[in-house]
Amino acid sequence: MTLAADGWPTFVEPVAAGRKGSGVLVVWRLELAKLSGQLQVRAIAAGCLAIPFLVVGGLNLQSSTPGDTPFGQWVHTSGFAIPMVILGFGGQWVLPVLTAVVAGDIFSAEDHFGTWKTILTRSRSRGELFGGKFLAAATFAVAAMIALTASDLVAGLLAGTQPVVGLTGQLVPAGHATGLVIASWASQLPPVLGFTALAVLLSVVSRSSVVGIGGPVLIALVLQVVTLVNLPVTAQLALLSTPFTAWHGFWAQPAFYGPFREGLVTCAGWFAACGVWSWLVFRRRTIGAA
Amino acid sequence: MTNLGLVVDARGVTKWFGETTALDEVDFTVGPGVVHGLLGPNGAGKTTLLSALFGLVLPDEGTLRLFGRTRAQAGASWLDGVGGFVETPRFYPYLSGRRNLAVLAGLDGGDAAGLIDEAIERAGLSGAGRQKVRGYSLGMRQRLGLAAAMLRRPRLLILDEPANGMDPAGIRDLRGALRRLAHDGLTVILSSHDMAQVEEICDSVTVLHRGRVAFAGRLDAMRADAPDPVWRLRTSEDVAAVETSRRLAGVKASSHDDGGLVVFAAQDRLDDYVLHLGRDGIAVRGLELDVTPLESLFFQLTATTATTATTATATQEDR
Repeated sequence: MTLAADGWPTFVEPVAAGRKGSGVLVVWRLELAKLSGQLQVRAIAAGCLAIPFLVVGGLNLQSSTPGDTPFGQWVHTSGFAIPMVILGFGGQWVLPVLTAVVAGDIFSAEDHFGTWKTILTRSRSRGELFGGKFLAAATFAVAAMIALTASDLVAGLLAGTQPVVGLTGQLVPAGHATGLVIASWASQLPPVLGFTALAVLLSVVSRSSVVGIGGPVLIALVLQVVTLVNLPVTAQLALLSTPFTAWHGFWAQPAFYGPFREGLVTCAGWFAACGVWSWLVFRRRTIGAA
Repeated sequence: MTNLGLVVDARGVTKWFGETTALDEVDFTVGPGVVHGLLGPNGAGKTTLLSALFGLVLPDEGTLRLFGRTRAQAGASWLDGVGGFVETPRFYPYLSGRRNLAVLAGLDGGDAAGLIDEAIERAGLSGAGRQKVRGYSLGMRQRLGLAAAMLRRPRLLILDEPANGMDPAGIRDLRGALRRLAHDGLTVILSSHDMAQVEEICDSVTVLHRGRVAFAGRLDAMRADAPDPVWRLRTSEDVAAVETSRRLAGVKASSHDDGGLVVFAAQDRLDDYVLHLGRDGIAVRGLELDVTPLESLFFQLTATTATTATTATATQEDR
C-alpha cells in the first residue's frame, strides 16, 4: 500500500459548482442509498411483503377465529377481513415499530459511527442534512406502508373475494371492500408519520438508537393502555395513538369521517412539534470535540 | 483587523464546555501555500480549534474567517475549498471504502464522483476499495480519510493526527504527499503532538497549551529560541565522562536512570566533548539524539511532565 506523493486531485473551482438543485434532495437520495445497504431495512422490507401471506397461511391452518379483533370472525368467509384483522391487531404498535427502526436510528447512527464529523465537513449545511434525513425517514415510512398495504390486500384477495360484513353489520361488496381496505391502511399514514417525527426527535435528542427506536414503541404501548382509560375527549383526541382507529368510521353504515379529520390535525401537530424541536436541538449541536 | 490574504484568520476564539475552557482567546492565522503545524499535548485544544474551523463547534467568542469570510458571510459555502478530518476519520462500516467515498462525493456534488478511483489509487487502497470499512485498519481509515478529503479538490487541507496508525512507510509517503501538495499551492494544517514529525514537514507552527497559544510563528524562528538538544550517551567509563563534561563550557552530562548518560549540548559543543572523551581514554559506545531542540522547546512551552522533558527543562534552567 503506497500512498502517492503526487497526482492527487487538485484545486480547480470551489465545489459550490456542485451545489446545484436542492441539497435536501441530494441528501435524501444518499440517505436512501445508505438505507438500502442496511440489513435491518432489507429485513423489514421482506417482512412487509411476506408476513401477510404467512398470516393467511396460519389462519388457514386453524379452525378458530380471532373473534376479539374487528373483522376477526369473518376471516374464514372473506379475504377482505384478513388485512383488516392484521390492521386491527397490530396497527397501534407494529406500525410505530416499523417506522421507528429507521427514523429512530437515522440521526443517532451517525453518533454511533462517529460520522457526523465526516458528513458535516462536506458541502452540505446542517439544514440540508436534517431535511434530507427527515425526508428519508418519512419516505421509508410511506414506502413500508405502501408495501404492507399492497401485500395485505393481495394476500386477502388470494384467500377469497367474497363480500365482507362491515362494522355495523352491513354487507360490503368486493369492489367497495377493496377501496375501504386501501383507505383504512392509508388512514394509518398520518399517525405513522407522527411516530416517525417522534422517533427522529428521540434519536436527535438522545443520540441513542436504543432510545430512538425503543422510545416510540414504548410510548405507543403506553398510549394504547391510556386509550382504555376514560380520558376527557380533548385529551383523547390529542393522543397520537387515537388516529390509528379512525378507520372504524369507514366501515360503518353510514360512514363517518370526523375521527379521521380530527386525527389529521392531531398528527400534523405532533409531526410539526417533533420536527421543529428536533431541528432546534440539531442546528446548534456541538459535534465531537466536547 | 482582517487580513484578506490569509487562508485562516481566527481572532480571540474562545470556547467553553461547561466549566472547562477549551479555547481561551486563541489567535490562529495561516497563510497560503504553507504546511502549518498545530501542536500541543493531549487536551491542549487542538481538536476543538480544528472542529471550530470545520463549523462542528461554534465558538462562544471571537471571529473565525476562512479565505477572508466568516461563516455568517459565507453561509452554506463556508467549507468550499476545504477538506480534511478531525480526529480519526470515521466512515459507515457496513459500506465499502468505495461506496463511502461515493456517498461523500454525492454530498459534495460537482465532479467529485469522477475522482473516486483516482483518490483510492493515490491513497494506496486500490486492493481494498471494495472491502467493507469495518475490516479496515486504523492506517487504512486514515488513508481513506485523506482520499475523502482530496475528493473536494481542497485549497485548504486540515488533517488531525493523520499519521496515527500508519506504518513507517505510510508516514514517509504522507510527508512526501503533504510537501508536494503545499508545493503545488495547497495550504495544509496538520495537527500533531509529535514535534519530530512536524519539524520535518511544517513551515510554521502554533503551539497550544491548555487552550491558549503558547507559541506561533515560523519554524526557523522557533528553532532560534530553542534550547540545546538532549543526547543519550553510553561510554566505557560514565563517571569519568561526567567529570570530563565539567571541564567544558556548554556541556552538561549526568547519569540516566536507565543507564548511560544524558547530555545537554549544542552540536558543536557535543563534538568537542566527544573529542575530549577520546583524549581522556574514554570510549564512546553509543550516541543518539534523544530530544531535538524543538522538542525541548515544545516541552518547555507546554510543561509536559514526561521524565526526559522535565529533566531537560530543569537542567537547561540550571545552566
